[in-house]
Amino acid sequence: MTTEVVELNRWVQIWFGPQHPGITGNMSVQAWLEGDTFAGGVTHVGYLHRGFEKLMERRKFIQSFPIVCRICVPEPDTNEYLLAAALEDLSGLDTEVPERGAWMRTLVMEMSRLQMNLMTLGGHVGSMALGTAPNWLIALRDLILDRFEELTGARVYHMFITYGGVRRDLPAGFAERMEENLRTIEKKLPLVDNVIFDSSVFRKRAVGVGVVPEEWVDEMSLSGPIVRAMGLPRDLRKDFPYLKYPELDFEVVTAHGSDIYARAWVRRREISQSIDLIRQILGRMPEGPYCAKLPNMLTWTIPPGQTYVRAEATRGEMGYYVVTDGSDKMRRVHVRGPSYVHGVALLERMLPGTNIADLAPLMVSFQVCPPEIER
Amino acid sequence: MTEILDQIRQRFGAEWQHVQRPDLLQIGVDAKKVVPLLTWLKEHTPFVQLTHLSAVDWIEEGQFQLTYLLTDPTAHVSLMVCARIDRDAAEAESVSALWPQAVTYEQEINEMFGIRFPGSPRQGVPFILEGWDDIPPMRRDFDTVAYMNTRHPPRPGRKHTDPRAYVGQVFGERGFLHDD
Amino acid sequence: MATTTKKKLPVFEPPAGSLAHAPLGQGCFLGETERLQAPKLKEALATIKNWFRANSLWVMAYGTGCGAIELRPLVTSRFDFERFGMAMRPTSRQSNVLIISGYLAVKSLKRVIRAYEQMPSPKWVVGLGSCTINGGMYWDSYNTINRLDLYLPVDMYIAGCMPRPEALLAGFGDLMQRIKRGEANGWHHYLENFDWYKANQKKVITDWNMPDYNW
Repeated sequence: MTTEVVELNRWVQIWFGPQHPGITGNMSVQAWLEGDTFAGGVTHVGYLHRGFEKLMERRKFIQSFPIVCRICVPEPDTNEYLLAAALEDLSGLDTEVPERGAWMRTLVMEMSRLQMNLMTLGGHVGSMALGTAPNWLIALRDLILDRFEELTGARVYHMFITYGGVRRDLPAGFAERMEENLRTIEKKLPLVDNVIFDSSVFRKRAVGVGVVPEEWVDEMSLSGPIVRAMGLPRDLRKDFPYLKYPELDFEVVTAHGSDIYARAWVRRREISQSIDLIRQILGRMPEGPYCAKLPNMLTWTIPPGQTYVRAEATRGEMGYYVVTDGSDKMRRVHVRGPSYVHGVALLERMLPGTNIADLAPLMVSFQVCPPEIER
Repeated sequence: MTEILDQIRQRFGAEWQHVQRPDLLQIGVDAKKVVPLLTWLKEHTPFVQLTHLSAVDWIEEGQFQLTYLLTDPTAHVSLMVCARIDRDAAEAESVSALWPQAVTYEQEINEMFGIRFPGSPRQGVPFILEGWDDIPPMRRDFDTVAYMNTRHPPRPGRKHTDPRAYVGQVFGERGFLHDD
Repeated sequence: MATTTKKKLPVFEPPAGSLAHAPLGQGCFLGETERLQAPKLKEALATIKNWFRANSLWVMAYGTGCGAIELRPLVTSRFDFERFGMAMRPTSRQSNVLIISGYLAVKSLKRVIRAYEQMPSPKWVVGLGSCTINGGMYWDSYNTINRLDLYLPVDMYIAGCMPRPEALLAGFGDLMQRIKRGEANGWHHYLENFDWYKANQKKVITDWNMPDYNW
């Protein structure tokens, strides 16, 4: 049987536009399709640009502290820690951070990683329209947000890690309530495993999909679960140690396959790792002051210098490049988010050959976070 | 770990060098030596990753500073290469042939600072801003408050308080971070 | 096996000059924007209609800013807004509430206006967070708008940075009360003052390349 096919234009251009339930946030992918597979695409960002770096150039250091957590919406504590670490590095204040302050900072960072990993694991299957696990996981994440509210006063934007330490002390009974919440989460995790990792739909759609080759790691400076899912044990908490991670007992989680399934597996193991680390930290928290004695914030100047500090966010390496010039404001602060590479260069390189239905799971597995691409 | 700084100084010459932390080395080179230096670092030394590429506006000196941050993923050391270029004819050589993600960095620096990287794809293609009609916004002579007042005026009835007066009254000399 | 041969189909063009179409920018359909419904509703029917509308607010899933992070807890099991009849819809054609969750960059504002105009009436806009009220934390930013109600008719503001899911539920409860009382008529206000809204929008969006009204 012969069929007659009219020769049309070869590619169809569609926009996975800013309003799309599968895109992880407010960004868009202008993609060209050939049938059901992508021939290529371009990432468009800028829908969330607030000009943070310009705003921080005209604010004193203490005025920058409340707004910096909003640079990455779901995981704000990494930003607070990095700005504090950068300015402490430049001003010499890093030797004065007390022990309890450093331990509390580590606690907040691990709680933040836990709640973000819970949400992202839900997103992995949520992008494939399996709605059970996201509902459970976001409810479990809410327990951690309750603890954040008790500790810092706010659920999402904590403004807690500040120059010299942290802003407040642990409330009485915090460790007991935290332990209760961790036990609730641990009781639910086997059910979550059953729904996600034993689900035939997830396996069929995630195994072998979205494979990132190992050669790209050094070429494109990839980091985070994308690299660990290839089997490379790279974790900034071990490689460039900061805070109290050298004194904690944990191993780098790796998986094999470098596909969406492996990345979800890494995140699931890191949830258990974060729970274990939080228990260790609360067990070893020393007594003492939680914040160093700070100079007068209205007149604090920092000598000229430049530095780069990095931390392991759940997505990868997050870094702050800060330049000071001797005045009471920063000359330049440049946020290096992991999604800057993962969401633009890596995604555009992965698109050719990908099926159209795999774009949303791929973006969730890279954990592309648009606010930190364009700040 | 500072042998790399000596090697760079011998091969390419350096204007200054500094060790900020044991894992962060900094060196300042001439702008024309940047691409040969980075090519040598990528291919003959363990500093293979380009972690960051940034620009700083030193308007009082009439220069831009470009900062390239390279990382050695096995020895866990970072090297910051800084180069100064002229502010009026702001042009620098592109490194997008060495690292593919540099295209994005150079696109954004072109849009935000107005520095051109001839040979880099996507120069002049807007990345973050849309329909921007003023000077590149990250330049220090761009006044964001004046722009806000003309383009996005606030709701009338807004009261302004100088933070100096307010904080000094309520919290005293030390500011407000302590409740002891 | 089927074989395919590529063959050009004959194309018949209409006679020259027989088709007339409005140039872009003047409204694509019938040369007119959407008109308000004539006030022919009876009083009793209006109450029942508003009651139905208030108890089935379908929200367009568009996370325009920071506040989208508190929409997930609102939707899922713990705070569950589905018990109030609300649901998340993926397109603007099937929703009647647009939540502006926080600040709006100018690039986002252009898409939000397009999405708003594509929603069928009746439609409501909820401004979440302090950034919609007076610019919030980013008041001096060159890229975010400071007053949302210059560009879209806002029916409810929910203050906070960011508002908790309980605050969102309280805000939606207030919106439902306003709808039942017949006071939430943002879309009427938009069409009655269409030129004023369009002038404000075009002042801030410099590369306007859409038709004036997007159906």
